[in-house]
Amino acid sequence: MKHRDSIEFMSIYLREAHPIDGWWLGGKSLSTTLTKMMVGSNAATDIYDPKTIEERQVVAERCENELAYEMITYVDTMDDAVSHAYAAHPTRLYLIGKDGRVAYAGGLGPFGFKPKEFGEAIDKYLAKEKSAAGVTQ
Amino acid sequence: MVFDVIKHRNKNQKEQKKWDALAPKDGDLAPDFELRDAKGENPTSLSSFRDKKPVALIFGSYT
Repeated sequence: MKHRDSIEFMSIYLREAHPIDGWWLGGKSLSTTLTKMMVGSNAATDIYDPKTIEERQVVAERCENELAYEMITYVDTMDDAVSHAYAAHPTRLYLIGKDGRVAYAGGLGPFGFKPKEFGEAIDKYLAKEKSAAGVTQ
Repeated sequence: MVFDVIKHRNKNQKEQKKWDALAPKDGDLAPDFELRDAKGENPTSLSSFRDKKPVALIFGSYT
């Protein structure tokens, strides 16, 4: 993964966006088209909304293993505290600088979820950091 | 089905707007948190990376 040495990547698993017992997009046939349009082709279609942290951890682990995105998945608490703090549900991207301040705040998901823009923001941040380090040396 | 989509979409958008008004913007101090991994282990806080590494937060779910 690009920038793995320079950036800490945290995948944070939130409450399900389209569980069977919530805003379900339908079974395999219908959801194949809808999930491709709305949440990406690898999204699951057979998940019930976890009711306990243990259930949430099981789904998060399955997600991590099956999507194989090569980063640790952290699981939000059942009160959705982190999701609320970042208005992150159903999906969102943030870059937090070394100083603890927001360097990039992505738009609200799913339509504001822009990985390419996020990658450019990371490149820009690292270039700026490198430049600042060069000035101080 | 169509009514369901409209109902859920409207509810979700309302929730998003409510929390987004409070969410950090560019330059704001990021709210700290501590979460565990999918095995319920390795508690990790955002602030543990302060002055060490920038952090990319990728929020999502499986559906």
